[in-house]
Amino acid sequence: MSLELVFQQALNGLSFGALLFILASGLSLVFGMMDVVNLAHGAFYMLGAYVALSVVQVTGSFWIAMLAAPLALALVGLVVEPLLLRRLRGRHLDQVLLTIGVSLVIVDLIGQLWGREVRSLSAPPGLDGSVGLIGGVYPVYRLFVIAFGVVLAAAMAVVYRRTRIGMLIRAGVEDAEMLGALGIDTNRLFASTFATGAALAGLAGVIAAPVFGVQPGMDTDPGLLYSLVVVVVGGLGTLSGAVAGSLLIGPADTFGKVLFQDVALAVIFAIVALVLLLKPTGLLGRIRIAR
Amino acid sequence: MIEIRELRRAFGGVVALDGVSLTVAEGERRAVIGPNGAGKTTLINLLAGEIAPIGGAVRLAGRDVTRLRSWQRARLGLAHVYQRTELFSPLSARDNVALAVAARRGPYRVFRAPPRSEYADADAMLGRVGLAGREDVVVHALSHGERRQLELAVALAQSPRLLLLDEPTAGMSPVETARITELVAGLDRALTIVIVEHDMDVVFRLADRITVLHEGRVIAEGTAAEVRGDVRVHDVYLGKALTVA
Amino acid sequence: MRPLARWALVAVAAVALVTFPYWSAQWESTRFATTLLRDALILAIFALSLDLLVGRAGMPSLGHAAFFGAGGYAAGIASQRLATDQLPVTLGAAAVVAALLALVIGVLVVRSEGIFFLMLTLALAQIVFAIAFQWTAVTGGSNGLSGVGRPMLATLDFSSPDLMYVLVSITFVAAALLVWGLARSPYGRALIGVRENERRMRALGYDTTRLRLSAFVVAGTIAGIAGALSAYSTRFVSAQDAGLGNSVRAFVTVLVGGAGTLAGPIAGSALVSFIERVVPSLLPVELRISEAILGLVFIAFVLFARQGMVGVGRSAWLRVRTR
Repeated sequence: MSLELVFQQALNGLSFGALLFILASGLSLVFGMMDVVNLAHGAFYMLGAYVALSVVQVTGSFWIAMLAAPLALALVGLVVEPLLLRRLRGRHLDQVLLTIGVSLVIVDLIGQLWGREVRSLSAPPGLDGSVGLIGGVYPVYRLFVIAFGVVLAAAMAVVYRRTRIGMLIRAGVEDAEMLGALGIDTNRLFASTFATGAALAGLAGVIAAPVFGVQPGMDTDPGLLYSLVVVVVGGLGTLSGAVAGSLLIGPADTFGKVLFQDVALAVIFAIVALVLLLKPTGLLGRIRIAR
Repeated sequence: MIEIRELRRAFGGVVALDGVSLTVAEGERRAVIGPNGAGKTTLINLLAGEIAPIGGAVRLAGRDVTRLRSWQRARLGLAHVYQRTELFSPLSARDNVALAVAARRGPYRVFRAPPRSEYADADAMLGRVGLAGREDVVVHALSHGERRQLELAVALAQSPRLLLLDEPTAGMSPVETARITELVAGLDRALTIVIVEHDMDVVFRLADRITVLHEGRVIAEGTAAEVRGDVRVHDVYLGKALTVA
Repeated sequence: MRPLARWALVAVAAVALVTFPYWSAQWESTRFATTLLRDALILAIFALSLDLLVGRAGMPSLGHAAFFGAGGYAAGIASQRLATDQLPVTLGAAAVVAALLALVIGVLVVRSEGIFFLMLTLALAQIVFAIAFQWTAVTGGSNGLSGVGRPMLATLDFSSPDLMYVLVSITFVAAALLVWGLARSPYGRALIGVRENERRMRALGYDTTRLRLSAFVVAGTIAGIAGALSAYSTRFVSAQDAGLGNSVRAFVTVLVGGAGTLAGPIAGSALVSFIERVVPSLLPVELRISEAILGLVFIAFVLFARQGMVGVGRSAWLRVRTR
């Protein structure tokens, strides 16, 4: 394998990792705060991509879609959490089951409303070209994805550590019930957290669309599968866990597909298995076993 | 029966046990007392195999069990009554005890219903602890005192050689406390018992010897009379608990 | 009802079930009902096996389809590579492969509980799915495995619709008896103990890790057999058989039927089959939302009837009796 190929695949791995981060961070956030594994996260991701499709069709602008899709998903989150999840407060396993039902509904409705063919979304003009890099050409859009991922991670880190919201989140991740006792409106906090997680999934859907396409099945592959693998490996509930997991899985998956082709996913399986055996809570995670 | 040497255990940065050694003879009734935080429950959990020490060794009946897990020690004859009630809540009292009775025979018996003898033994055990007539009652419908009685029944149904009781009378009324105390007092003398207790009446009624823990260390050990007269123990308890006639 | 009377009733019901295509032929000539019932019974076997984990042992697995798919692939590949269609061989292969896979995955997941267990099983099963989807040389990849051999027992060919149904229904009766036998035994009771208070079970001397692993393997094996039956019925195995959608379907079936009971998974499979197969013909043809309907039904049960149909039935029965 030539050096140029290695370099290209490394960039592919990084852009995939950046994407995984945007996707998985929402899942990690919701789990950390609410002890709920939102199994509709993949469906939210998928919905974001399809909403972006329509927005681009109507407005012709990718950038508007990049704003609209997360907003739309935030709205969905703001409906789902109070209407459904809140009724099962304290029953974490049942909440997870509920999100399964939500996922079934959303995915089927997407198929009904947008059709079940494979669709695509082009990168916005300005980012749809290629640029010359070490020996070859590389799509600008993927570089954009890497940059976006880095900026988002940095922004989230700043919010997490330096703002009041971030403090609330950190406290909530530690002990959400305590926050309630301290007079913080946990209803609003949980609804906002869930909405934010949904919005992040939707954002990932938009950004991933030019690279991975828009089609049925994207809710599980890459959606839910990869976000789960990332957070299981990197560690649930923490920002650094999502970063670590994405940085590990992104390149691993990319190089695995290049090197092992058909059974590339076995590479991922091996990593997951290894982590589970050695450190079941994930590399940087904090797990509370909730029933 | 029990030999503990230099047992150490810490949780995070807090040292719970700092080199505890003690020996309990077979058939002996040993009480472990001490102020809150002294490490009593940690000691029991270490004995039971629920947590592992960071240093030291545990021997049961001459055998080094330091590396054995709780279920392995249970099979050697150890029974453990927890500080907080640990039962099978949606099951009836009888089913709870039946699980203990059946434990010796191993669970990989399929297709036939559990033998009636298991349930008969369970009922008999429930009768012994004073729960006759309550066999069909589901755990969450039992009173706190009844649940502690059930705990004892479950533990005894294991036919143990060594019984660990972690504050068996906690939260009980005087009547219930007396009943449990007499039950334990009446147990087979071949059974070795280690009991953690705060209630000194119970301790003096039941114990052959007393070990006093403070801040993870043994500060005194001896018969009831010896411990009662020990100045260090007085200091540690601020005199309150030991002013029982 | 006296035990003998109860057994007689069960025997009658079983015979009626197995001979369904023969006595229904008069009023049902299109074989739609037979095919529907056949698929519902396959789902019921699958759900019964999952209920061992979810309902009895308290192990909420969202990756159970991995074993269903593995069984289907094993039966199909065995029939093709071993050039035999004999049922004991292909069904045996399905059971063995599913059991081994369950052992491998089981060892990895059995020490976790609750939500973490759920996620692990989901993730690992998804990886099995992806391997099936991508390993074109062995599994046919995204095209699936077609031309699965017709199951035969000596010279008896089970591939006719009626006989296929008979094969499935007999297997269902056997599976139901097996699960019933496991549930009522000390083993089943021990599983409930592990579910309710694992710490206490260990304190009593039960090796709970081994108990959970054994349940996982048994459940996986039965699921593999269900997968083989599915492969025989449609002569086709797709990667989706091992996918999350199929795992979810089984889980939904168990829950809406009633976890932890024998009737629950069976009732659940009736309801799910109805929603998936009958409801679409009741709706306008452009409206393909049976999965969404299933999702809504599932949400409703999780919110309002957590014990499933069996649970609802029991409460209603109690209320009637205490009038």
